[in-house]
Order: sequence, then structure tokens, then C-alpha cells
Amino acid sequence: MGPLAPNELISENTNFLLAFLIGTGFGWVLESSGFSSSRKLAGVFYGYDMVVLKVFFTGAVTCMLGLLFMSLFGWIDLELVYVNPTYLTSAIIGGVVMGAGFIMGGFCPGTSFCAASIGKIDAMVFIGGLFLGVYGFAFTYGWWEKLYMAAYLGEPKVSKSLGLSDGLFGLFLILIALAMFWAAEWAEQKFQREEY
Amino acid sequence: MKPRQLLALIIVPLGLIIAAVPQNKTNPYKLTAEELLNEANTKTQFISPDDVADMIISKNPSLRLIDVRSQEDFEKFSLPGAINIPAQELLSGEYTDILNQDVKMNVFYSNSSVNAGEAWMVTRQLGYSNNYVLEGGLNYWFDVIMNPQRPASTSSDEELAKYDFRVSAGHALGGGGSIIQSTPGQSSSTAKPAIKTVPRKKKAAGGC
Repeated sequence: MGPLAPNELISENTNFLLAFLIGTGFGWVLESSGFSSSRKLAGVFYGYDMVVLKVFFTGAVTCMLGLLFMSLFGWIDLELVYVNPTYLTSAIIGGVVMGAGFIMGGFCPGTSFCAASIGKIDAMVFIGGLFLGVYGFAFTYGWWEKLYMAAYLGEPKVSKSLGLSDGLFGLFLILIALAMFWAAEWAEQKFQREEY
Repeated sequence: MKPRQLLALIIVPLGLIIAAVPQNKTNPYKLTAEELLNEANTKTQFISPDDVADMIISKNPSLRLIDVRSQEDFEKFSLPGAINIPAQELLSGEYTDILNQDVKMNVFYSNSSVNAGEAWMVTRQLGYSNNYVLEGGLNYWFDVIMNPQRPASTSSDEELAKYDFRVSAGHALGGGGSIIQSTPGQSSSTAKPAIKTVPRKKKAAGGC
């Protein structure tokens, strides 16, 4: 059965329509949970508001459980699901750059568009910077290419490299997530801010 | 109850279940028996020896010949550039990258087209595309490419052109023995069979 697009069960145009609907829903949830405030994202780094971490970890765990169960029932062929190829060096450098951008700007790409759509000027400036970065990288790609392509690992799975079954690793990840939620709520108490 | 505890109550049991059940490793068949039969009956899986000979000579990079006979037979004789995947090792997993891809055009061959046809059926059943069968196998290959029979002089231009191509292809591939006798006023380019290029399937991409 699934995945729908690679198995050509739905056309590319339907695929785009679904992406549009899911994207709209995603934006709506981001906005209604207050992610369009830059203080929300910055809060993760200072420890006073861990909602972003909790939401995204819950999203990841839900998605993982959904995929594992759908695979178990034969509804989806996980072999056909696209996995971003891993280039370790650029993943680490990119992670650091993104993280620094999150603290300084108070937005991630998704939340910045959310905030810009409700008229926040700081978010529009953030988007301007985002495009500057994208074009800057594209036009100087030749300088970075070697670094960008370094340490190619293919499409590794943590479960496979640890020699665990996907399900067992999933259980560990759930336990890790719950431990993180507990730590996050402890941090929120400890670094509490009255008004932000 | 805190939301965290409620969430834990839901996801921990689900995690326990998914950790306990065996992983679904069954590779579901992509085609029903009926679909496969219909597809086999269209005969589109067959590639004629002429097409294959032309691709070998023109060094077409998309062609990949796969010999499904035993290693012993493969070492005795094989087509130029062929690789050997004995039929009984098709499912060993070692060759998945070769059989399941969308860049090259795999052409199976065996002595006749029986074993190669079986290989095509198995790969097709697994949902792999871009796999084909050399029509008639090596026996037919020898008949038409290595030792082509001269058609009657009353044959159509097309038949004669095909014969010319086969003789020259046989020579280029180190076989034959016949002398090229072009009929005057007939260009050899008409003998060139059209090469089917396999359209590249787009890979689905995603990202944040």
C-alpha cells in the first residue's frame, strides 16, 4: 500500500495538495501554541520554557510509533520511505549554525513564517536573513562543496548500527523522551520567569 | 494527572508492544498473480538479440547484461560485459542493488529464455522494474547474430538490412564467418534497431 506517492497511488499534484493541507495545519498548530513568539524558542536554550522541545519530541515519537505500527500491519513499506542521506560533517556544522541562529533570532524557519504571517517585523527580518544565507551558500557553493560532501554515511539507522530491532529502539526512544520531558519540566521550575 | 503522565500511559504500552512483536520483514508481493500473468503475456519484457547487439557495439552505458546461468557456464562463455548472478542466488540479498534500481537496463540471459524468464518473473514479483529478458537466450543469439542465415534474395529490404546488421554485429562481437555482402543502394543505417531508453524514475524527496 503506502507510501502513497512513490507507489503512484496518488498523483504528484494530489501529493502537493496534501502537502499544502498538512503544511497549513502545521502552521495553524504552531501559531495557536504560541510558537510565533520568539521567546518561546529562545526559552528552550535558557530553560524557562521547554514547550518547543516537548512538542517536537512528542511529534517525533507519535510519527515513529505510527510508522512502526503501519509497517507491522503491512500498510507501508518502510524501504520506500525517503530518508535524508547523512553527511556527518555538514550535519554537525549545520546543526551548530542552526542552533546559534535559533538563539540569536528566536525563530526556526517554520515559526518565522508563522510569525511573519501575523505581522511580526522581527520575523520578517529573520526571513530576510534566511534568504541571504540560502543565496550566499548557493553562490559560494564551490568553496564549501568538499566540506559539504564529507563523511557520507548513506542512509544509516540508529537501530541498525546498534544492532537492535526497530521496535526495541523505538521503546528506548520513548523512555528517553519521557526522561527528557521530566527534565524539561524540572528545568521550567528551576529557571522560572514571571513575565516573558 | 499531569499531561506528561497521561502521555506516558499511552506511549509506553505502545512502545512495549512494538518492541515485543517481530519486525515485519515480509516483502509483500507488489503484483498479484493475475497482474504478473497479464504483464508476461504482453511480451514487452523481451529484448531482441539485435537490440542487445547494437547496444553492446555502441557501448550503451545503460545496458547491463546479467548471466543467470551457473558460474561454471559463465566462465566458459559469456556475452561481452556481462555479470554473473546464478538464478538460485537472485534472492540472496547480495544483488538487490543491481536488480532493484532505476538507472540501468538489466537484461537477463540464459541458454534459452526459460531461466532468464524465471529471473524476470521473480524480480517483477518483488516490484523491481528495468529488468528484461534476452529473447531466445544464447541459443537464439548464436543463430541470429553469430551465424545469421542469408534471407532469400526476394526478401524485403528490411529483412536484408537486418541480415547486414547481424553479419556486421557478429563480426564486431568476434563471431560469424559470413562475408558482408551489402545489396547496393541500401543504406546500412536502416538496419539499426531503435534503442529503447529507460526513463529515469524520480526519487521522492523530502525535508524540513
